[in-house]
Amino acid sequence: MSRKQVKGEYIETDTGNKVARKAILIGTQHIMLGGKTVIQAEAMIRGDLARTAQVPSSSGAAPGSNTAVAIGRYCFLSKGCCLRPPGRIYKGSFTYLPLRLGDHVFIGEGTVVQAATVGSHVHIGQKVVVGEFAIIKDYVRVLDGSVIPANMVIPSFSIVAGQPARIVGEVPEGGHEAFELRELYKSVGNNPQPLPV
Amino acid sequence: MASFTPYTYIQCPCHDTTTTTTTTSQSRPAEDAPSPTSPHSSDDDDDDHNFDPRAPRSNYSLYPLEYLLWCDVCHQIRCPRCVAEELVTIYCPNCLFEVASSSLKTEGNRCTRSCFQCPICIGPLAVQSLESAPEPSLLSADNANTATTPAGPWILSCSYCNWNSSEIGVKFDKPQGIFAQLQKLRHGEDSHSKHAVGGDTSPTKTDSVAATMKARFSAMRSFYSAQNAIANPSSGLGDYGFSSPGALSRIMSIYSGNNAGSHKQKSKGTMTREADSASEGFRALDLDDSSAVSQLRRDGWDSTVIGDQAKSQVEEGARFAEELWPIPYLLRTKRSKRCPVCRHIISKPESKVANTRFRMRLVANTTIPSISIKPFNPPPALLKPLQPVQYLLTFRNPLFDEVKVTLATPATTPGRFASRVTVLCPQFQMDPSTESGMYLVDDALKDDNKDIQGRRRRGTEGGTHQAEAGKIWERGHNWVTIVVEVVPASLSLEAPPALLRKEGEPEPDLSPLKEDEDVLEIPMFVRLEWEGDVSHDQMSTSTGKEKDAREKKELAYWCTIGIGRISQE
Ligand SMILES: [Zn+2]
Ligand SMILES: [Zn+2]
Ligand SMILES: [Zn+2]
Ligand SMILES: [Zn+2]
Repeated sequence: MSRKQVKGEYIETDTGNKVARKAILIGTQHIMLGGKTVIQAEAMIRGDLARTAQVPSSSGAAPGSNTAVAIGRYCFLSKGCCLRPPGRIYKGSFTYLPLRLGDHVFIGEGTVVQAATVGSHVHIGQKVVVGEFAIIKDYVRVLDGSVIPANMVIPSFSIVAGQPARIVGEVPEGGHEAFELRELYKSVGNNPQPLPV
Repeated sequence: MASFTPYTYIQCPCHDTTTTTTTTSQSRPAEDAPSPTSPHSSDDDDDDHNFDPRAPRSNYSLYPLEYLLWCDVCHQIRCPRCVAEELVTIYCPNCLFEVASSSLKTEGNRCTRSCFQCPICIGPLAVQSLESAPEPSLLSADNANTATTPAGPWILSCSYCNWNSSEIGVKFDKPQGIFAQLQKLRHGEDSHSKHAVGGDTSPTKTDSVAATMKARFSAMRSFYSAQNAIANPSSGLGDYGFSSPGALSRIMSIYSGNNAGSHKQKSKGTMTREADSASEGFRALDLDDSSAVSQLRRDGWDSTVIGDQAKSQVEEGARFAEELWPIPYLLRTKRSKRCPVCRHIISKPESKVANTRFRMRLVANTTIPSISIKPFNPPPALLKPLQPVQYLLTFRNPLFDEVKVTLATPATTPGRFASRVTVLCPQFQMDPSTESGMYLVDDALKDDNKDIQGRRRRGTEGGTHQAEAGKIWERGHNWVTIVVEVVPASLSLEAPPALLRKEGEPEPDLSPLKEDEDVLEIPMFVRLEWEGDVSHDQMSTSTGKEKDAREKKELAYWCTIGIGRISQE
């Protein structure tokens, strides 16, 4: 990450990522950011939990790379959230598997995500726990305080809440645009723009 | 008290069946007819009737903007209540496999792949080997590889509450085809082939042949169709059952007595009888609860099910936790929506489960402005009675045309507690939304925009920060902010002095505060006028000349704006 500005709360990278100086990124060589992603203070990404056993991946990332956490564009990681790759026993030994986020993924304050994949246009509220190997598809809204059990699959256009989480509603047709995070991206950083009214 | 988020709900025109039914052949049942108490005089002039957001009926037609659809042909708002839905795709929410509607009829509305929910907590169940450490084999990518690892009995287990199927004595021989294995274990469906499943099925599970609703229903149906065949041998109903339309018409002809030639056909001798054995689907109610009582005594409340658990079971009647079975996932659907009036499709998703695009998605928020509410000053948690407060309402125009907005509110809010409402600027123009490349233009002009906004602000306010009647508060490239002043009502109820009450006037309602009666809600009538492209049917491909044609357009609707809660002091 090349530093453009020396001062300010955020480090802004060439690809437009805004990473708070107080963000906790561990094992940065295993973390992939797609660009234009905001990582707020005290947000933690556990890149150090990279895959240890060699899984013959048919559905996989580029060979040779060992990405632990892959994040798309226009994602927003709020204060104090944590992205942690899920792990399990594979062929007798324990290994972590990568955690992938799509584009326009919002993760609320104090939320822990251990999913296998989170699709694009997903809003995860505050104080949510996304269990290991959960799969969240596109256009999903997870309400505050939900606990998504391990291995749960959440189909597109679901509104999810509860402990354990269940589908409580459908994202209405007119609600798709609300997942866009471009404006929110502009509203933080070292020279933030006001959110449109 | 929880914090209050201001809201705007918009009323769909389907609340008023008097106007929709007269203009169309809408097949809405009579339950929607106006209640006898509602005034009928408003038929000729519907702008005249005041809208009460608190009326019990209003609940059914008020929606947040994003829930509303838009019919291009009728040029009107449509809501989830009035649109006609059609199934596009049926799929399992867990494995995301599509289910053909034909197999829905035979297999039922639940996933028959190995998708189960925990009967205790409804979390997803995963197949696990009893022998080795937990292995979530549901990960599709690795499914093929897991076979190399452990053998032995398999169970379904819940990672959320740690329930597993061995608690009800259910183990599987192989990790595939769990649904069929479970079906066999539970109902012993094909009894001739001795199920090769692990031997420890408790006797209570296997002796209940035909105990399932489905099995009993089919037994009963075959019994009664046989009975019918005996009763009416000539009609040949036995061949068809009741499901074929031919049989139905034959039944109709029997009952309408058109076949006059065959009089006295039903002789007394061929009386039908009722089902009376288990093979005919008959089941006597077991009135002996002593075993249940003794079990309850032995195991206590912890062994019983709670209402939600019993309700989410496929078979009804579970009373103890050991009678709870894994729940196959209920299938979900993708649906298209039609306008109830003109029958045009206004929303249609792509049929593939994984495809989130829409072939058609006409939503109301591309036509009608969004309204956001902000208090003028950072507000106290609750509104103080009788103290005027000002709110900023921001209208954002989604259209590419300039829109003239006219607002109207009743002077006081309806209901027992009448708060006073004043819209300081009830009429204004909104500039058009920018062209489709909005974001790019936005970015480039950001700084310019700011200047313009600043200038306009000063221009309209003349340097002061005082809200003025008849003037816009602030304006941006496609939005306008206006000020609304409210004087919250006092929530204390005092009977007016008896002397002041006129004879025959109804007794004032002094009952205690009802739920949400302390919420200050403003009914607001919004009228939009603009000049837009001539609307044409979805099919017509207009020539260039027609494209340029403009016409005056107008839309009016009620909405309700929730401002805040009034303090109860
Ligand atoms: Zn409606
Ligand atoms: Zn399934
Ligand atoms: Zn459970
Ligand atoms: Zn229509």
